[in-house]
Amino acid sequence: MLTLHYAPDNASLIVRIVLHELGLPFRTALVDRATRQQDSAAFRALNPAGLIPVLETPQGPLAETAAILLWLAETQGRMAPPPGDPARGPFLQALFFLSNTLHADLRMIFYPRRYAPGAEAALHAAVTDRLRGHYALLEGWAGQGRLGGPQPSVLDIYTAVTLRWAALYAPGGAWFDPAPLPRLMAMAAQLELRASVRAAARAEGLGEAPFTRPRPCQPPEGSATG
Amino acid sequence: MSITLYHIPDYASTIVHLALEELGVPFEIHPLDFDSGDLASPAFRAVNPLGLIPAIRTPQGPVFETAAILLWLVDTHGRLGPRHGEAGREAFLSWLFFTANTLHPAMMDHIHPERPAGEGLAPAIEAAALARLHDKAAHLDALIAREAPWWLSARQPGVLAPYVGVLLRWSAMLPADPALRFDLSRFPHLRAVLEAAESTPAARRVAARDGLGAHPFTAPEA
Repeated sequence: MLTLHYAPDNASLIVRIVLHELGLPFRTALVDRATRQQDSAAFRALNPAGLIPVLETPQGPLAETAAILLWLAETQGRMAPPPGDPARGPFLQALFFLSNTLHADLRMIFYPRRYAPGAEAALHAAVTDRLRGHYALLEGWAGQGRLGGPQPSVLDIYTAVTLRWAALYAPGGAWFDPAPLPRLMAMAAQLELRASVRAAARAEGLGEAPFTRPRPCQPPEGSATG
Repeated sequence: MSITLYHIPDYASTIVHLALEELGVPFEIHPLDFDSGDLASPAFRAVNPLGLIPAIRTPQGPVFETAAILLWLVDTHGRLGPRHGEAGREAFLSWLFFTANTLHPAMMDHIHPERPAGEGLAPAIEAAALARLHDKAAHLDALIAREAPWWLSARQPGVLAPYVGVLLRWSAMLPADPALRFDLSRFPHLRAVLEAAESTPAARRVAARDGLGAHPFTAPEA
């Protein structure tokens, strides 16, 4: 049985949606950020880096959102091109871009003090500039069919959830504008209709349009931030 | 048809150069010259529209992004890490993405602190980045001590040792202020694996070709 260690509206949301897409049964275990449960010995035993999500599997725990998504796709043979497929190389490049560039830069916006203590405002201005460029790149990929194709990939789910975060979580000030991203927003609107996203939205209190009309989550348990 | 590596010595493509040499698969190097603007040329942009190295040309087409190339090599050839279904795949994926997502960005901020937000913020970013680097290196050090993963060991450095080794090499060498340089000796288990990684016959050949010195990871010299 798979166990997803999660906090509402954290990166575990991406994994939750993909688990529903793949039709895999799973349990959830709340990581209570209000009490910094991610620093507990039990959680650090699963992920020494203390980051959410962790997916416990029969073969051992997985950490890092993109690693979990890749493992699930490989295990099920869906939602990503398999090794040997000519599309695998471009897919891996896109997955690493989402995780080590887009998501990493979003974390600088969410937690600026960790990256530039005393200079959070200037960091916010500079990194939001970079983020607009990243989303413009992704909009281009959507135009080329690398995102938003007929069958959702893990890349689509990952991207759509970040659109929500970009709109909602900006301690340094609102910066995100969906207007230059019509293809990404259309993809997000289609994803919102899927049973997987509706189930995740119910479970985490995300509302009816979690990607296109995001509002702060009202989860039945836990909280999105500490 | 073999693999072509687009390469500038001691840039990120050195990471892939080490992995390819270790694998022993046929490959050829297409040297690029940074100062001549090769990375912006139409010929190279046809391989990687973002104009970044490393990039490889393969029978299935181009692949770029350092960690994507390393994972593609593992998935295609095995040996340097567990493939899907092999023991350790879960931990390997987790720590590969950990390295790409947290250690690599910390290193970039450390050696290029002016890039995120200009010169004014550089000192604050550099200092914070060094702390982040120490935190990430400590996790890798503890992983090796606790789990002894076969794919990041003195016996099999895999793709992760050259990846981590090259990143930390730059952080140890490049900061002008010695007090702000990364110190690998604080992480003895990681150091031992990187020492083994730089000592393989394949690594020595790459070090000679790329001008990396006798101890590229444990005693880097500019």
